[in-house]
Amino acid sequence: MSRAPRVYGLMAEFRSPQELVDATEKAHAAGYRRMDAYAPFPIEAAWEALGHHKSRVPLLVLIGGIIGALAGYGLQYWVAAVAYPLNIGGRPYNSWPAFIPVTFEMTVLVAGAFAVLGMLALNGLPMPHHPVFNVERFALASRDRYFLCIEARDRKFDPVVTRNFLKSLGPTEISEVES
Amino acid sequence: MTTREQAGRSAADYAPPAALEAIRRGALLTGGVGAAAAILGFVLDPAQFYRSYLIAFVFWLSIALGCFALSTLHHLSSGAWGLMIRRILEAATRTLPFLALFFVPVIPGMRVLYHWARPEDVAADPHLQHQALYLNVPFFIGRTALYFAIWIGFALVLDRMSRRQDRQAGGEVRGAPRDPRLTRRMQMVAAPGLILYCLTATFASIDWLMSINPHFHSSMYGVAFVGGQAVSALAFTILVTLWLSRRPPMDVAFRPTHFHDYGKLLFTFVVLWAYFAASQLIISYQGNLPMEVGYYRTRTHGGWGTLSLLIIAGHFALPFFLLLGRDLKRHVGGLSVVAALLLVMRWCDLYWQAAPIFSPDGPALHWLDAATMIAIGGLWIGLFAGQLARRPLLPVGDPALPEALNA
Amino acid sequence: MTDPHATPERPALISPGYTSGTVTDKISEVVLKKTPRWWYAGFAVAFLLVMMLLYAIAYLFAKGVGIWGVNIPVGWGWDITNFVWWIGIGHAGTLISAILLLLRQHWRNSINRFAEAMTLFAVGCAGLYPLLHLGRPWVFYWLFPYPSTMGVWPQFRSPLVWDVFAVSTYATISFLFWFVGLIPDLATLRDRTKNPAARIIYGMLAMGWRGSARHWHNYDSAYLMLAGLATPLVVSVHSVVSFDFASGVLPGWHSTVFPPYFVAGAIYSGFAMVLTLAIPLRALFGLQDFITARHLQNMAKVMLATGLIVAYGYMIEFFLAWYGDDPYEVYMVANRALGPYAFQFWALIACNILAPQFLWIKRARSSPAFLFVIAIIVNIGMWLERFVIIVTSLHRDFLPSSWGMYHGTIWDVATFVGTLGLFAALMFLFIRFLPMISIFEMRTMLPEAKVEEEPK
Repeated sequence: MSRAPRVYGLMAEFRSPQELVDATEKAHAAGYRRMDAYAPFPIEAAWEALGHHKSRVPLLVLIGGIIGALAGYGLQYWVAAVAYPLNIGGRPYNSWPAFIPVTFEMTVLVAGAFAVLGMLALNGLPMPHHPVFNVERFALASRDRYFLCIEARDRKFDPVVTRNFLKSLGPTEISEVES
Repeated sequence: MTTREQAGRSAADYAPPAALEAIRRGALLTGGVGAAAAILGFVLDPAQFYRSYLIAFVFWLSIALGCFALSTLHHLSSGAWGLMIRRILEAATRTLPFLALFFVPVIPGMRVLYHWARPEDVAADPHLQHQALYLNVPFFIGRTALYFAIWIGFALVLDRMSRRQDRQAGGEVRGAPRDPRLTRRMQMVAAPGLILYCLTATFASIDWLMSINPHFHSSMYGVAFVGGQAVSALAFTILVTLWLSRRPPMDVAFRPTHFHDYGKLLFTFVVLWAYFAASQLIISYQGNLPMEVGYYRTRTHGGWGTLSLLIIAGHFALPFFLLLGRDLKRHVGGLSVVAALLLVMRWCDLYWQAAPIFSPDGPALHWLDAATMIAIGGLWIGLFAGQLARRPLLPVGDPALPEALNA
Repeated sequence: MTDPHATPERPALISPGYTSGTVTDKISEVVLKKTPRWWYAGFAVAFLLVMMLLYAIAYLFAKGVGIWGVNIPVGWGWDITNFVWWIGIGHAGTLISAILLLLRQHWRNSINRFAEAMTLFAVGCAGLYPLLHLGRPWVFYWLFPYPSTMGVWPQFRSPLVWDVFAVSTYATISFLFWFVGLIPDLATLRDRTKNPAARIIYGMLAMGWRGSARHWHNYDSAYLMLAGLATPLVVSVHSVVSFDFASGVLPGWHSTVFPPYFVAGAIYSGFAMVLTLAIPLRALFGLQDFITARHLQNMAKVMLATGLIVAYGYMIEFFLAWYGDDPYEVYMVANRALGPYAFQFWALIACNILAPQFLWIKRARSSPAFLFVIAIIVNIGMWLERFVIIVTSLHRDFLPSSWGMYHGTIWDVATFVGTLGLFAALMFLFIRFLPMISIFEMRTMLPEAKVEEEPK
């Protein structure tokens, strides 16, 4: 096994979303990349401060929708025109106006499933345990505290320098995250 | 310039650009030429004139009337989207009295357009005799007069309140303290206005268009007509915002977020229109009754079938996929291309509804179709431009305007 | 985006003085503190009704659908009425959570969670009816397309098959939407509960949610996408339900305006149900600071607007029945207004069209008690509407020799009241074990959540 770092990273705690966003911006400017910002509600500015922009979820949803539409219409066409053709009131086997509703439902169903499963996959969930949970105060990340965690894997990470850097951002507390 | 600076500006800073006058003259001139051509066409082929004229009239009326509906919707929902285009909507609604005059040539054409207006047809058809209680010449004209009276009345009342709001503010965006009662009063006018609009537009669509097709009736008809008007009005408004956003003073006022909202709204209206149209088709297809299926049979065969496919593609599929993404909606140029396409499709849709009864085998386009469109359209755009030039381009007196500018 | 809830004309959506911490505590404490006594009492009543439902269903399985009042010519009675009624109620939940999210109407944040739960439970209740109505409910899976040994496939030109797809898609997407919305709050409960078993259960359900920026970013995107999908879905579901009727050529059923008119009716009855639930809940749990008078007023306005659309539907249907000059259509109208079910018809007009007109008055909109009464009336009116549409069209159609009358039996009543109990029982379990207000969305509405965007 490669030598896994015994420390996952260093975590700084802040009182407001503004402080978190400012701190994240500074950390990004200082060259840190492997880090994440934790908050009790979505803060778009924090994600941008981490140097990211677009989410890939919409693309997945589009792909899911196309698959669902093709599968939905294809199923109906195959059943009504190939596998079990029935004459219903003289309508053609491929009665496309009658196939609109189910095609639509299948589009939404598959697209919706892609949205949820795609979101979970992109977030690496489910993941029942994660090192950040080792910090006791991290429980407040789902209440009213904001955390910035710089990971030990980061190229610039150094236990002392990084701690001093975090201190300069004015957090209420800094904790070491055990791996 | 930042929006904070904008908020301190006054009505004079939102004066309409002088170029509007050139538009007005050019449009009136074009309309005059078109009118001359249409009159020539009337002499040569009166029946064709009436057929083309009705569609052109409904097309342009739909824009002005849709603008009225959007303005009531804006007063009731009080969102930022409506404030930025309120003056455009109001200018369009002030043209409604002129549009009432444009209806007049339809009256002598009733015998050509409607079976129920021809006594010999009525005598031969018990169904038309039954309907004669509703579909008869005096009542038809009287109803149309009533529709216009309602639309004009509500539009003018709302318009005057809006002007009073401007005056109260002394022409400053963050000027004197406002009377919030005026906003509420506008809502109180807008609510019955919207309700009466839905009712009158429904019956207008039955009178003017649906009754062209004897024996056909569909309870979705009025709803689809209203949905189409929403598309027409918003598409036209977007084209006007394109023009305005290219020159001062509005070049700094309109921001991508505003166009994003209009893009979303246009997307919604397109989808709603498609939903109404598809529901009517599905139910008719499923029920398979001669009265409804006959309507669709004509329109799914030969040249009309091609037009149907064109409408599905151009009125729904293409705009749907273009407006699905985020980027096009924020870019006024791209959005305007979709809006222009939709306006063309609105005409196709009206033509598709009204014309097949006169040429069941396929579309028979006539130069009068273009001439009447240019005649009414040119004159109407000239009137609209003249009205738009009469007020500041933003409702400076509305208390919510600073917020809307920042949206 | 600017703060939409701080103008003097429009009071705030959360009473002032709350912080992220206190909002979290206040909402999660409903779940984490001791069960109040009235909860046991309420749940016990609901549970008894569920037992009654199970009894009615067991008896139905033993005897067959003959125990209901349905027979030829009226093959759809209370059962399908209840199906449409319940599924309509569900629609308001989706409307509140999805459409209002897309419209950036922040007032939804304090009511969307329980409205979504309401959707889910209502769809569950609705789904029971067509299944029970099948006659042989144990072979319900025949409805789905699968390669069966019999070699047959569903008939996709039938709206009843569309319904299978619509309702099952709706149930699935509603569940996903609700569950995705719950994930961050489940993490909050995981972090706050002191009960180790609860911590494990909430922890498993939260799936390791950490609230990292990456999580939130993908989450927001997925949530918006789901909202964008759920919005047309909810419209399609009730449209498909309306196709169940409109596809037939029966007078009073075959009308092209049915889809939008049914959708409006669904939203109408759904908002009535949200008010029916929200008004007592906010009083019982002291949540007036979160579900404020403005919420109730907004919902009243939506009810008024959708009620008017429903009235439009009645009007245009009647007018075109005359205009179309079809003797059966004309008779259907006369029979509804003057026939043996005239009482139900006029009652529905009074409940659905006249009663909500009071909501034009601001004072009526601002009184929770009055709104509660109107909401109950609308719930009743919308049930009657479906009953009238279904029964009056079926009981006298083209062939007078086959006319008949329909009356529900005690088993119809027991099944209906039983589903009310099932709905209530599920609702009780929900408010006891899960946060009924979305905590994280409430946090975003607090002043402290603002982050200044730096000029780029």
